[in-house]
Formats: sequence, C-alpha cells, structure tokens
Amino acid sequence: MFTNDSPLFQQIADRIADDIAAGTYPEETAVPSATDFAVFLHMNPATVSKGVNLLVDRGLLYKKRGIGMFVASGARDMLRRARLDEFTQRFVEPLLAEAHVLDIDIDTLHEMISQKVKDHA
Amino acid sequence: MTTAISVQSATRTFGRTTALDRMSFSVASGSILGLLGRNGAGKTTIMSIIAGQDRPTAGRVEVLGGEPFENASVLSQISYVRDNQRYPDDYKLHHVLRIAPDFAPNWDADLAAELAEGFRIPSKTKIKKLSRGQLSSIAIVVGIASRASITLLDEPYLGLDITARALFHEVLIRDYAEHPRTVVLSTHLVEESERLFDQVVIVDRGSVVLDVESDEIQNVAYTVSGTADAVDRVTQGRPVLSTHAVGGLKSATLRGLVDEQVRADARAGGAQLSPVSLQELVAAFGEYEPDATSGVALDGGEPRTPVDSQNGARS
Amino acid sequence: MNSVISSVKLHLNKREATLLVPLYITGMVALVSILISLLFWRSGSIPGSTEWVSSSQLNPGMLYGLVGFLGYLGVQSVSTTFPFALTLGATRRAFAAGTVVWAIITSAYLAAVFSVLTLIELATNHWFVGFYIFDVNVLGAGNLGRLIPIVFLGTLAVLTLGGVFGAAWVRFGSFGPLALAVGIVIVVIVALIVVIPVMASILAAFQLWWLAVAAAVIVTLSAVGIWLFLRPAVVR
Repeated sequence: MFTNDSPLFQQIADRIADDIAAGTYPEETAVPSATDFAVFLHMNPATVSKGVNLLVDRGLLYKKRGIGMFVASGARDMLRRARLDEFTQRFVEPLLAEAHVLDIDIDTLHEMISQKVKDHA
Repeated sequence: MTTAISVQSATRTFGRTTALDRMSFSVASGSILGLLGRNGAGKTTIMSIIAGQDRPTAGRVEVLGGEPFENASVLSQISYVRDNQRYPDDYKLHHVLRIAPDFAPNWDADLAAELAEGFRIPSKTKIKKLSRGQLSSIAIVVGIASRASITLLDEPYLGLDITARALFHEVLIRDYAEHPRTVVLSTHLVEESERLFDQVVIVDRGSVVLDVESDEIQNVAYTVSGTADAVDRVTQGRPVLSTHAVGGLKSATLRGLVDEQVRADARAGGAQLSPVSLQELVAAFGEYEPDATSGVALDGGEPRTPVDSQNGARS
Repeated sequence: MNSVISSVKLHLNKREATLLVPLYITGMVALVSILISLLFWRSGSIPGSTEWVSSSQLNPGMLYGLVGFLGYLGVQSVSTTFPFALTLGATRRAFAAGTVVWAIITSAYLAAVFSVLTLIELATNHWFVGFYIFDVNVLGAGNLGRLIPIVFLGTLAVLTLGGVFGAAWVRFGSFGPLALAVGIVIVVIVALIVVIPVMASILAAFQLWWLAVAAAVIVTLSAVGIWLFLRPAVVR
C-alpha cells in the first residue's frame, strides 16, 4: 500500500500516474475528486491535492472549472516516455548488478533473455 | 497562514507532579495535527487546556488569538471530544442532540442524525447504560456535527470496533474537506490515522520531542539492523533514539538522514538500512531515556543516551 | 448573557425532571396527607370539626417530602450537569448564573402550581371531603400572600443550597460536601453562642418576614458559593 520512504503526496501522485498509464483513467475523462480519494484512502485532503497538483504541473491532469480534474490528452504517451527513461535505471542496472554477483557472463545473459522471450511467445 | 492554536512554554503541575513541562508548539489554521506520545506524556493535559477546561500553571496557550479559559467567545468555537465524558442523570441521545446546538453555532442537525444512525447509537436507552464504544460514538457525533473551527479529539476511538473507526475516519475527512476546520487528534492508533495528519507533534514527559510536517516524517529517523557488531559500527558517534537486541541480532533507530557515510558504514558490516514508520517513531521516542552523563545530543536538547530494551541498561 | 441563557436551557433540557417530577412528588406527598387524614377519621375525629381542622393544618408532611426531592434536584443540577456544560463550552461564570436563574424559574413554577392547587382546595371545600392537603400551616394556611413567598423562597433556598453542595463535590470530591456541612454547622453554632443571651427577646420579637430575609441570605450565599467552588474546578 503506502510505504515510509517517500512523502505521501508523492506516493499518491505516482499511484494516480500508474493508473493513467494503465488506462484505468482514459484521456479526457475525469479522475475522482480529491475529496473522494481522501475519504477512500483515509488520507488528508490537502495531501491528495498536493499530489494531484504535481500531476497538473507535469501536464498529466488539467482542471475544468466547476467540474473537476481531467486526464490530459497525450498523458499516456508522456508517462510511457518517462517510464522508458527510467527503465534502464530501474530494471537494467539491477539486472546487471545481480548478474555480476552471481558471475553470469554477458552471453549467458543474452541467452536467458532470448529463451524467456521464446517461452512467452 | 494564520495560527489557530499557539502553545507557548506551557507548564502544568498538579501538586508535586509535573504534567506539562514548558511545552511549545503551534497549529496552523485549517490543518490536522496528530498529537502522539505515550500514556502520561501530557497529551490529555494539553488538550484539556486548549479546550479551555483547565489553565496552565505557567506559560500561555492561545486559541484563535485569545486564552480559552472562561472565554465565552473562544469556547463557542471549540468542540472538545474527550474520554470519560459524563452526562446528566437519565440523559438519552436526544437530550444531547437537542442541547448541543445552543453551544455550537455551526451545528448541523441533519449531519448529527446521519452520524448517529451510522454509528448505530441506540436512541431509547439511557446513556449511562451504553457501552464504551457507544459513548465514544456520541462524543464523536457531537464533535463533528458541531462543525467548530477548532475540533479537539482526545483518543476518540476508545471502545470503537474497526468498522466504527473506519466510519469515523471517513466522516471526519469528508466533513473536513467540505467544511474546513482546525483539528487536533490524539491517538495511540498511529498506523490507522497517520495519513490524516498535516503536522505531527510527539510529546514525552510533558514536552515536545518532535514537531514536523507529515511530509518530513521520513526524514526524521532511520533504522539500522543486523548483527550487534554491524549495528554498533553505524551507531558509533551518532544520535540514537532506541535500540532493540535479541540474541546476536540488533536494531537501532537513529535520528537524522541517511547519507553516504551512513551507507558506507552499514555496507561495511552488512547491516540493513530501512525507513521508519510514524508508529515506530513514536515508539522510539517513547523508549528514549535522557542521560546527562554520556551520549550524543539530539538537536536542541541536552546530551542523551538510548535505553537498550534487552535489559534496560544504558548502552 | 447569551451564554447564561444557554446554561439555563441546559438545565431545562431534562423536561421531565424539571416539570413533571415535582408534580409527581407533590402528588405522592398529597397521597400521604390523605392517608393521614383517613387515619384521623378512623380514630374518631370528625371531618370539619375544630379538632380535625387544626390537626390537619399542623401536618408538615408536604414540606419534608418536597424538601428532600428539591435538595436532590439542586445537588444534581450542578454535580451531574456541570461536567457536560464544561465540555459543551459553557463558562463557569455563565453556568453558575444559569443555575441560579434556573432555580428561580423552577421556584416560580412550583409556587404557581401550589397556588392553583390551594385555590382549588379552597374552592372545593377541601376536595369535597374536608381533607386538608395544601391548606396547612407550613404553607401559610390557605393564605396565598403567605403561600407564594413560602414556596418560592423555600424552593429557591433549597435548590441553591443543594447546588452549592453539588459544587463543593465537583471541586473537592466526596470530601467537599462533608466539609461544607461541617463548616455550616460550625457557623450556625457560633452564631447561636453569640446570640443565646438575648434569645428570649429575639423569639418574642420574631416576625415571619425574618424567614424571608433568612431565605434571601441563604440564596445569595449559595449562589456565590456555587461560583466560587466552580471557578477553579477541573473535571478530570
């Protein structure tokens, strides 16, 4: 659920961003109000608003006055690109570090990956 | 940003007991403060003073710019939910709901009725025959439906089961979002409530040991765990709040941020570093024993040492 | 002022206790009076005879019954209501004043009720059977000019006296009322010691309105006492 290593508003922003990337909130549709999130998660509404504002600043959400918060067009692509940038740091580096610890050489690593791709296909 | 509550070096003695010892903190208007700490730390005493039920022996407490004691205009804006509330003989729920509006200018009768139903408070039974949980529910209903600018909740959960507690959180957040007010909530159920707080104040032995915004909590302390040697290597020369040791395993909670030096020391001994939850933080401060003879100073305090929970001796 | 009114309303919030229960008690005491009258009748006294009238009118039962209940009402008006009033946000000043105002209202109410019942008793020739319930000496023997001050001031004195005992309990716990009672007894005895040499001439000069003055003094001292006890009180 929520962890202790980063501020709550950051975590709620990430959560909503993940949901947008996954398509749970389609572009140009409304996301639940800050109050609804707050009540649902037993969280301070100000914290939720802070997280939502982070996403507004990044251009992923925008406000329609009197109606609520909407997912911006192109939000999914924006998130995809950002996650691609992170991919190397989040997944490739740990993979290589672990392989190093286990003494797996680069060719064996290639083979492992190719084999897995075949299994999934 | 206005200050709704200002506690300025408040001291309260009862005969020879000192309940509050120069306690100081302030609460911004419209925010939710979590007031945490062990039993006997002074939470109820300070809340009682903020609510105007009591006066400090020394120091000053201001609410909405004035001292609350015997101050009718400030008191009318305060709603106090306390433990052990006594009601007049033979009172039933409707007696309470009928008279509350005369003392709460923002009272919402519909909300009160809705809450009473949600908490399943029996309307025909005399209050003195109700269970602890039902008594707590009545106090909560009055506290929230009052829509007072300053809402003080002193361990409102006593006797409430999980469902009722969840309902309490939902109701509080929803009404707070629609009608903002300053809230002070003291509780032992830290894990359940920590997401509600804008600000956290931890008190111990009558004074404040921590006063932070909730966004800063993860920067307050960290835990190092592993073998006793590995842990001691990291704690050496650093401010330690508490330690636990079982057999050859040890963990210590240290004040401050994890920097490269800390990481290096941890790696060297194979110790693990982990963040500290608010619950763990309250426990750590609660175990902390000050000692003038040795130990490392926490910021703003005299030198102190932690208590080793294995045998209670100084480590 | 607003705050005082809220406190008065708080006291009046228990409608049944304030309005109906005094009537119940009155009814019960009336019942006892009726039974005593029946006793007289059975023992040979003739209703309407001089002997009957004077012994009926001497009956003080009405007084004792009501005083007991009113004392209880006065005590719990402070002891059980104050903690709740404080939580609601009443100031101690306003609560003390509100308690006195409530006592005045209740006393006036009771005086009105008794007046009406006495008038009915007189009009029906003592309830058609010659039973003296409200036309008794302790209540002024049917004279409203005496009944009203007696019931009003008497009730007010008992209520406020009960109130100050309640306040002593709030402030000092169970020790409070005890200490207060002892204190009052000491003061009374000291006053008697001072006055006793001239007691005979005082009794000779005794006027009924002195009781009214005494009641007023009790009420004032009790009202001040309530405030003084509540002012530093903390409800733990």
